[in-house]
Amino acid sequence: MTTRETNMPTTTEAVGARADTIFHGHQDAIYRRVDKLFVVLMLVQWAFAIGLALVFSPYGWAGKVKATHLHVYAAVLLGGAITSLPLLLAWRRPGSVATRHVIACAQMLWSALLIHLSGGRIETHFHVFGSLAFLAFYRDWKVLVPATLVVALDHLVRQIYWPESVYGVTNPEWWRFLEHAFWVAFEDVVLVLACLRGVAELRTISQRQAQVEQLERDKSVALDEALVDLKRSHEARLRSEKLAAVGQLAASVGHELRNPLTAVRNANTYISRRLNDPKTAGAGAAAADPKVLQFVGLIDRELTACTKIIGDLLDFARERPPDLQPCPLRPLIDEAVALLPAHRARVRNEVPEALPVPSLDKDQFRQILINLLQNAVEAARPDREGEVVVTAEGGGDGRPWRLCVADDGAGIPPEVVDKIFEPLFTTKIKGTGLGLAVVANVVRLHGGTIHVDSRPGEGTRVVIELPLAAGQQAA
Amino acid sequence: MIGPTNDPTTGATTGATSAPTASPTDVRARASLRATVPWLLLGAAWLAVVAGGMHRLWRYSSDPGPGAAAPAEWPAASRIGRAPGRATLVMFAHPHCPCSRASVGELGWLMAHYGPQLDAHVLVLRAPGTAPGWEEGDIGRLAADVPGVRVEIDAGGVEAARFGAKTSGQVLLYDAGGRLLFSGGITGGRGHPGDNLGRARVVSLLTTGTADRADSPVFGCALEDSKP
Repeated sequence: MTTRETNMPTTTEAVGARADTIFHGHQDAIYRRVDKLFVVLMLVQWAFAIGLALVFSPYGWAGKVKATHLHVYAAVLLGGAITSLPLLLAWRRPGSVATRHVIACAQMLWSALLIHLSGGRIETHFHVFGSLAFLAFYRDWKVLVPATLVVALDHLVRQIYWPESVYGVTNPEWWRFLEHAFWVAFEDVVLVLACLRGVAELRTISQRQAQVEQLERDKSVALDEALVDLKRSHEARLRSEKLAAVGQLAASVGHELRNPLTAVRNANTYISRRLNDPKTAGAGAAAADPKVLQFVGLIDRELTACTKIIGDLLDFARERPPDLQPCPLRPLIDEAVALLPAHRARVRNEVPEALPVPSLDKDQFRQILINLLQNAVEAARPDREGEVVVTAEGGGDGRPWRLCVADDGAGIPPEVVDKIFEPLFTTKIKGTGLGLAVVANVVRLHGGTIHVDSRPGEGTRVVIELPLAAGQQAA
Repeated sequence: MIGPTNDPTTGATTGATSAPTASPTDVRARASLRATVPWLLLGAAWLAVVAGGMHRLWRYSSDPGPGAAAPAEWPAASRIGRAPGRATLVMFAHPHCPCSRASVGELGWLMAHYGPQLDAHVLVLRAPGTAPGWEEGDIGRLAADVPGVRVEIDAGGVEAARFGAKTSGQVLLYDAGGRLLFSGGITGGRGHPGDNLGRARVVSLLTTGTADRADSPVFGCALEDSKP
């Protein structure tokens, strides 16, 4: 819940940032598209102006002498000049602020030129209003400002120097240009509102798109996670089935071997005793050949090893539910240390006396402690005495127990760390590969977890975490 | 751009490492300025060219031709028939002058409003040395379409010379007694129809007999060949 609450603002911010990106992407696309539209429009206007001049005023006359009319030059050259910069900007800097503002100015200059070429026909003045509407396609109200200023400036200059050309009177009131500009501004107001509404809609669409994308992403992540979980559980099931089969076989074989092995061991013990008894005839043979006693000892050791292997196999195969009883950890560790075979490491039990008592299956837990401690002491480096430290904490204030077995041995190579709890995996020459598998199994049956942190050359820490439920159950 | 440079004052070579290191923001700002300056210069040049072109076009449109030195009394030698008891309006027009379409248009407006008071003539020029038919064009056709207007051909520009008209669109208004009331154009600019002072003065003379001035600028093509 805490994690979810922490992530929510991050997700909202991510959606907001994505919405901004989408919005600006849409805006840029619109700017570029309308730039192109005006490129086409300007070229059409240019062609139209040339056609207009050629049809209606191709020549100027002086008596019978004719010369190309100034309108033709104006249409070709001035029209070309007006068109040139917008075209260049739309090509080199499409979508930029400067491009659309220059286009806005140029479009209004086109209005002035066309009005002029058409002899100031009132109908051509509608080009101004049409141009403003075209400019509103940008959905950027700011482009209407330079366009309106060009119109106002054109009228103001005309009012000062040639009032008849727009007002039909020689002495118009000083504010007459404002009257004309007012009607342009009236259209501007409508177009500005349309632009603002268009931008707001674009923002809403971007927001929705970002939300949908986020939803799709979340779904995709959830689906991926579900697939990974499914794959894991499928693999776990296969492994479990395989192990169950191996376990059954091992249990069967172990059970069948244990009785003959016990008989052989008893017999060997008897032989050993007789050979060592100076009163028996066998003592002579043993005295005559020292290898006899050596081999008898060898047989005993190997039988012990065989017994352990069979014990491990049976422990692993016969998965028994733990019999949970309150079990103080410190004495249990002392017991496990006492049962360790001879070794070259010093084992320190630093588990606090006052540690809350967990609820454990004592026999199972003693076994896994023996396994862990045996691994730890065997990891001691040959050049010095090893040190194994056992610590524990937790169990109170709602915290789980944490039992740690740490050594300063050779460590585990990184490439095998993930495999050490797998059954039948071992790096030891005489290992069965079942010790740590049994440990992991017992911890799992206690509802706990086990983690390994190993650094080659520095040592290994094995941490068992037992849930608080074990202690509560015991209480 | 940043690298070892020669100090022009000392001739010593200075490396980028010895100079104060510019921050990335400064570098970006300088690069942005370098990219913007050519566009600003181009924009200024564009503005100058367009403004210059507009000014030239504007000057052309508002530049009147020479006005007529019209006789104060109706010339007796004129072959234009004058209607008794009515004012006579004569317009001289070049048959191919595009600007004169506006003049004919304004004449149409006058005839529509004050036709009964006017005896209107449009004299379409046939320039000296041109073959018959040269005078056929838009102006004559447009003028012929105006009700109440008589279109006549001014062969060799004889009448234009008689009345001192030099510019297409020149309008002369004589009263019923043959006295010159007005001499000028009835458009506000070259090929520019709409309200204008010349037309307003003609209207004023027709309705009140007076006007603030008896002339106005004439906008149109020259009726005579340009002198070399």
